[in-house]
Amino acid sequence: MSRNQPIGVPSHQSIAYHLSSQQYNKTMKILVPIKRVIDYAIKIRVDPTKGPHAVQQANVKMSMNPFCEIAVEEAIRLKEAKKSKDDEVVAVSIGPKQCSETIRTALAMGADRGIHIETKGDVRGDYIDLQPWGIANLLKGVVEKEDKVDLVLLGKQSIDSDCGQTGPLLAGLLNAPQATFAAKVTREDDGSFVVDRETDAGTETIKLKPSNAPAVITCDLRLNTPRYPTMPNIMKAKKKPVQVISLEDMVKELGLNLDDVLKPRNQVVEVYEPPPRKEGEMVESVDVLIGKLKGKGLVG
Amino acid sequence: MSTSCRRMFLGQRFLRENSATSIPTFPKSFASFPVFANTEHRRRQKETRLRSLHSSFRHQSFHVSSAARTRTQDKTPSTQCRLPSDFLSTIQSRHPELKISTNPYDLDSHGHGESYHPSSPPDAVIYPSSVEQIRDIFSLCCREVLDDDCDSAVVEVVSVIPYGAGTSVEGHLNMLLPTEDEILKVPSSMFTGHDGSDTYRTIKVRRRGGISIDMSNFQQIGDVGAGDLFVKVGAGVTRNTLNEALRHTGLQFMVDPGADASIGGMVACGASGTAAVKYGTMRENVLALTAVLPPTKILSSDSDACHDVAKPEIVHCGTTALKSSAGYNLTALLTGSEGTLGIVTECTVKLHPIHNNVIAAVCAFDDLHTAAEAVTMIRMMGIPVSRIELLDEVSVQAFNKSLQSTEKSEAINQKQTEAKLHLQPMELKPTLFMEFSAHSEKAVLEDLTAAQSICVADFNATNFVSASDDETRQALWAARHRLYYSSIALRSGDGEREGATPRSTLLTDACVPLSHFADILSATARDVKELGVIGPCFGHAGDGNFHCIMPMVESDTEDYRKRVFQVNENLIQRVISVGGTCTGEHGVGYGKKRYLERMYGSGGVQLMTSVKKALDPWNVMNPGKIVDV
Repeated sequence: MSRNQPIGVPSHQSIAYHLSSQQYNKTMKILVPIKRVIDYAIKIRVDPTKGPHAVQQANVKMSMNPFCEIAVEEAIRLKEAKKSKDDEVVAVSIGPKQCSETIRTALAMGADRGIHIETKGDVRGDYIDLQPWGIANLLKGVVEKEDKVDLVLLGKQSIDSDCGQTGPLLAGLLNAPQATFAAKVTREDDGSFVVDRETDAGTETIKLKPSNAPAVITCDLRLNTPRYPTMPNIMKAKKKPVQVISLEDMVKELGLNLDDVLKPRNQVVEVYEPPPRKEGEMVESVDVLIGKLKGKGLVG
Repeated sequence: MSTSCRRMFLGQRFLRENSATSIPTFPKSFASFPVFANTEHRRRQKETRLRSLHSSFRHQSFHVSSAARTRTQDKTPSTQCRLPSDFLSTIQSRHPELKISTNPYDLDSHGHGESYHPSSPPDAVIYPSSVEQIRDIFSLCCREVLDDDCDSAVVEVVSVIPYGAGTSVEGHLNMLLPTEDEILKVPSSMFTGHDGSDTYRTIKVRRRGGISIDMSNFQQIGDVGAGDLFVKVGAGVTRNTLNEALRHTGLQFMVDPGADASIGGMVACGASGTAAVKYGTMRENVLALTAVLPPTKILSSDSDACHDVAKPEIVHCGTTALKSSAGYNLTALLTGSEGTLGIVTECTVKLHPIHNNVIAAVCAFDDLHTAAEAVTMIRMMGIPVSRIELLDEVSVQAFNKSLQSTEKSEAINQKQTEAKLHLQPMELKPTLFMEFSAHSEKAVLEDLTAAQSICVADFNATNFVSASDDETRQALWAARHRLYYSSIALRSGDGEREGATPRSTLLTDACVPLSHFADILSATARDVKELGVIGPCFGHAGDGNFHCIMPMVESDTEDYRKRVFQVNENLIQRVISVGGTCTGEHGVGYGKKRYLERMYGSGGVQLMTSVKKALDPWNVMNPGKIVDV
């Protein structure tokens, strides 16, 4: 604590300094952006006659992106660990009106309130219309509007676009300290977050110190196992507040340009199913196998 | 002959005997069990040359299993397919997209479950995706063929065994075919091409092999509407897949046998698990089902293939209403019928809401009898428990051992969440594992306190610990969760010799009234000790259902294996004497048929046989199981 004191400030004034600065928040607010995607267990159907819109979304089961679920779970665990009454976990989602169901699932898991930025039915969330740049700009606006957000927890990527860009883009826009692919997150008393990241070279531990911007952390698979919401919590979630605002109104409120937000930076050129696996060839013996492998130039 | 050669020879002989007429008692050889040690691989290479000398004794199933283990071997000799020569081609031409496999590895894997019963593979595996495909297959299973050598009409019957997840532990998936032809007199009206006359015809029934109908394409999971407490699922959906799909509904399917079984298989065997004490078994959780009945008509030689009249019926049984008195209870008839009366294609199962408040508790007792008495008292007092499991000292020892050896615990340590738990060895005493859940914290604490006072004050339990957070609950129940594999690991290999596997383990299953539970359970544990076999015992104590896990290894003597099977025999006779059942949840299969007469009398068995004959006159469906016809 004493390291944060500017030199020369009398000690009785330093307490006031700490309370007013964003470095030490008594209440914690975590923002969790979540995305509604095709359920991970569903086999994707591709209609090649539909160009970039080839992935069939009509009548297909949609759920919260699994990495976003992990982020929600982590936010709730951080809140439960801190045990303060006024801490808040806010779930925010951008998408069509069915996104409200996804937000309700986050509320049933333990989030306190939701923000639904509603898009028109024809706007596709899976990388066609809403892309990470637009989303990150919207989320920046939400963070600033919410004020005093300590942490933004996101999934490391969505399972439809697999971009993995929204978290880092948001951190850049906010000039925020960030740590991606978190495998463990803990909050220290001074408001900093300590993150373990799994990399190819080993585990890296990063401390995100409190600053004017919230910490931005993206969550990887091994961070936690999300809880199944219980029926009583699902019923309770129906009463939790969800602010619904149309994309156009939100953009206007944040002073952004709708075209900037919706215009794709990347254009989907083609969507196709991977070619079906060719049937293997049965061989009589090991010698024949080696012969064939040699024939194909696969062994010396 | 070398020892290894002799073992192979015996193994082949044993498997040949494996027909409906003989009930295999001890597996004479473990040659058909999967092998993991590298030494086995090298040994087999040497044996390839020796085996060619014994070509006259080749049996497809033996070679199929050994080939599956060591890929360096020569290709297996072409298996002799017993099916009629045009059977598969007719089906394939009618349904070109239908997957049919005669690959020896597929056949072998569809010929066994997860028990010591050796593999008896089918002649083909078919993977239908619709009920219509199944009906078409069935219409060919009972056909008249023209045979100039025979005076009477010849009817060829192909058997069918439905396959779910392959987790059967009573040999349900073994293709056991009658070996002899039968001569019967049947009404002409049973032929599709009958001339309307009211006569009888003499026929010769010839068995022409069997097929496995793999239900893994039946993966539909219906939507759960608001306020619904049920869901419709395809027979191939496994219970974990179903619960994952339901994860955001606040509801779960609460029948939890140890394996990740398919719903269709669970219906077939009347499965149950640790949650049965509160939520019931499959019998209480199946509301409705759709099944394809076996064929009753003979497809005449002059009728078209897959003739409409030859196609069997589809039945819809039950209702999604929670209660019904409408007609005979067909759902109950098919539940537990072990694939002998029809193929279940779809099932509507009950769902239950997940409670907010869950507490797990563990305590130890001085002896097994006292522990079982404590459970009986808890049930008599009507204290709600959602799970209550009792492990004997050998089971606890198995758990402690699994914590020691790190390699084994890597294999047992499947879930990554469990890796974070700090598990401690437990006291070597019979241990009770309980779980309480209720809609309010107050209620669940009251249940816990009531059970605790019975255990500690009335039955001298020690070390009563409880917890409500997820991680500690998992740690408290770790010994129970890992029980099956840690018990098998009690007889693990040591590099040179192979260890036990689920395929070399006898898992007993019996259920008695609670009033006799303590006596029977301790008598069994005593028997295990006295006969000198390794057999951890544990029970779904709240239901009076208990199991004994007896792993065997290849190097066991005949005498040891005899004693293992003796434990099971003694147990079942004891259980039936007190009015219990020879199988609480695993089913009869073919190994327990002989106990049904003692349980139900000849009248009961005769009635079951009549039901089987009425629904499946040609014994197409899973022959040799439950009753003999």
